[in-house]
Amino acid sequence: MNQLTAVAQAVQALAPWQQYICHACGYIYNEADGDPDSGLAAGTRFADIPEDWACPLCGVTKSDFEIYEPPSLDALRAKAQGCGPVPSPGQRHRPGVVIVGAGRAGWQLAENLRAMDAELPITLVTVCAGDVYDKPLLSVAMARQLPREKLVRETGADAARRLNLRLLPHTHAISISADAKQLRTTRGTLRYDQLVLAHGAQAALPSPLQASLCWRVNHLGAYLQLRTALGEVDGTGEKDVLIIGAGLIGSELANDLALGGHRITLLDVQSEPLARWQAEQAGQQVLLAWQDLPIRFVGGVKVAKVEKIGGRIRVSTECGQQFEADQVIAATGLQTPSRLAQSAGLTWQNGIAVDPQTLRTSNPAIHAMGDCITIDGQASRFIEPIARQAKTIAAAICNCGAIPYENKPAVVRVKTTSMPLTLH
Amino acid sequence: MNPVDLPHEVVDAPPAADTLLAAVRAVAQGPLQQQADAIDRQGHYPHAVLKELAGLGAMSAHLDAPMGPGDFFLAIQAMAEASRVCGATGFMMWCQAVCGLYLQQSGNPALMGEALQRHVDGLGMGGTALSNPMKSYAQIESLLLKATKVEGGYLINGTLPWVSNLQADHYCGAIAAVSGSDSEVMFLLRCNAPGVEMHECPSFSAMEGTGTYALRLKDHFIGAADIIADPAKPYIARIRAAFVMLQCGMAVGITQGAIDSMWAVEPQLGHVNQYLEDRPDAVQAELDALVARVQKMAQTPFDTSTEFFIDVLDARAHGAELCLRATQSALMHQGARGYLMSSDVQRRVREAHFVAIVTPAIKHLRKEIARLSTEEMPA
Repeated sequence: MNQLTAVAQAVQALAPWQQYICHACGYIYNEADGDPDSGLAAGTRFADIPEDWACPLCGVTKSDFEIYEPPSLDALRAKAQGCGPVPSPGQRHRPGVVIVGAGRAGWQLAENLRAMDAELPITLVTVCAGDVYDKPLLSVAMARQLPREKLVRETGADAARRLNLRLLPHTHAISISADAKQLRTTRGTLRYDQLVLAHGAQAALPSPLQASLCWRVNHLGAYLQLRTALGEVDGTGEKDVLIIGAGLIGSELANDLALGGHRITLLDVQSEPLARWQAEQAGQQVLLAWQDLPIRFVGGVKVAKVEKIGGRIRVSTECGQQFEADQVIAATGLQTPSRLAQSAGLTWQNGIAVDPQTLRTSNPAIHAMGDCITIDGQASRFIEPIARQAKTIAAAICNCGAIPYENKPAVVRVKTTSMPLTLH
Repeated sequence: MNPVDLPHEVVDAPPAADTLLAAVRAVAQGPLQQQADAIDRQGHYPHAVLKELAGLGAMSAHLDAPMGPGDFFLAIQAMAEASRVCGATGFMMWCQAVCGLYLQQSGNPALMGEALQRHVDGLGMGGTALSNPMKSYAQIESLLLKATKVEGGYLINGTLPWVSNLQADHYCGAIAAVSGSDSEVMFLLRCNAPGVEMHECPSFSAMEGTGTYALRLKDHFIGAADIIADPAKPYIARIRAAFVMLQCGMAVGITQGAIDSMWAVEPQLGHVNQYLEDRPDAVQAELDALVARVQKMAQTPFDTSTEFFIDVLDARAHGAELCLRATQSALMHQGARGYLMSSDVQRRVREAHFVAIVTPAIKHLRKEIARLSTEEMPA
């Protein structure tokens, strides 16, 4: 008998150390460590602990302990996957749709979404104030003598109230955590069910043009700043304005600023304006229209240097010509910012690549529209497609049946008011 | 040539990444774990642990060595291993790591030779007094130290409110505005030098043992041997991304520690914890994505482009936000047991607050990203 007990004790002594967990507070008693503070030496078996011993953390007694097996992480992970929170339409924090960009594309989409779903949470993130305006008006504002307050159709705050959406103005969208479905911004991180990128394109500024010396007019804010710099148009504040790039935007601005009384010098590497529509002789027509306007077109020149000389700006060309102006505007094309698309790993083809019919990006939870997208590698930065794109995306998000987008060539109306041109 | 005459980095091959991380983990989960509470609340400065970690190469993995370029990601991972157990120690590793970066990037032979080697070995230790200058460059506040040009150097005056990882024989990198110019000078500030006084700080809510002091400088002379960069601006432009990027190690480690404590109570409390937001599997997935992002950035720590810097600032902000959420969630997961003062779960909540507040704080990061993202137009 004694011998048997001795054997049993020996066997017990060899047994691996066990751990016991307190039901009440989660304290773990490890036999290997004991509880020296309460007088239990390291190596004290749980069975040998006196009954009056109390949990050192919460004071309950030995009977409130049970054997504890350290969990296997893999088993826990597998189990946890089945019981995660299930998003339901009635969920209190339903993230809804987040739209990046409050230009025409962003607002058009918001209008369509709200028309199709009164309850859908919509958040609109924009770098600017979010005011609603018609960008084409920026090319004719002087000719039509539109004061700045007439350019804003509706303030961002008013539109947000009318559409019952959350507007985050003056907020930069920085990156997308695609797996977690989060948009990181300078005013906090937003969750989304569906994200729509409508952030447009940015004016490109090829070297040697410097941002601190050259205006770029691609949105209302910059346009209004330029107007301020030019001074109010009252017939006495005529300025010398040099525009680099005689494409559509450069030509329209030259036309409008000239009608506003400013003296324009328009430079381009091509020998005539609107060279993209050379076959339709657009350049010759537009030059004809400008005959009586203070516009001097200098073709076939490439800018080599832009520098500030006193209060004026000097532009030198590679062929050695020099021009001086009060303000310089660069109209040297657009490029799509790639930061957001890259952070989400979206397919990029000269812009955010979208499916031609659904306008979905390579990520199923992200659509894109407007100036930032390309279809088969081609951007189409015009106004007309935007309304149709908004319908397609809104219908998909609101499950209102598919409205396939039709990608067709845009007709361009050149707003050179002295002689409007329609180009194909 | 006698191998003893060579700098030891030439003789000893750097340990492979896995070996280094395993060694750091062993220190973290051994002696560091034992001291974590004392570091947090009693102001215990873990000098021996830091020395041991330095000896392993944990705070110099990012520095270029004769055998190869530095590995920033490895340095961040090492910091994360320690932060997983003790955020304060992770922070001091960052101080030491970034101070080593200052020395190595200084181009000053007086700082790059023996001084750098002692620093790498943990015989010399230091911190960074760049909180104020970094905020100054981000147009958040103005520089607190002023330098007056004198024969052979500068006299420095002013007070820095809190500089960490300091002891009497430690040092830190600091920046002063040069009077009568719009230039700044960066220098190595030795705590025991004439004209330098260390003052105790008031109690913090956590991480008391970080060797944090106010430094008062009165006509403190710095000469050529102390100069890290003069002028400082181009130097800061070169190292600022690396400086911020290295901090990600703290956030990654604290978040991982929080995830560990969520899993720890899963068998007992999973049946109620399933109703919580930020469950461990979701937080882990988000953390893994962030770590992958940091790993990619760590390949080009000296990219000086604005786009890259915005990326780094954003990853740092994500780390701070994630560790706030993860530690908060870990506390919810553990419930009452996590609320005990002795619990590492509540300690980690306070450590996460530090990550979110230490320069650059979340709000500073967002302001700086907004500033850098704004299209520049003619004035």
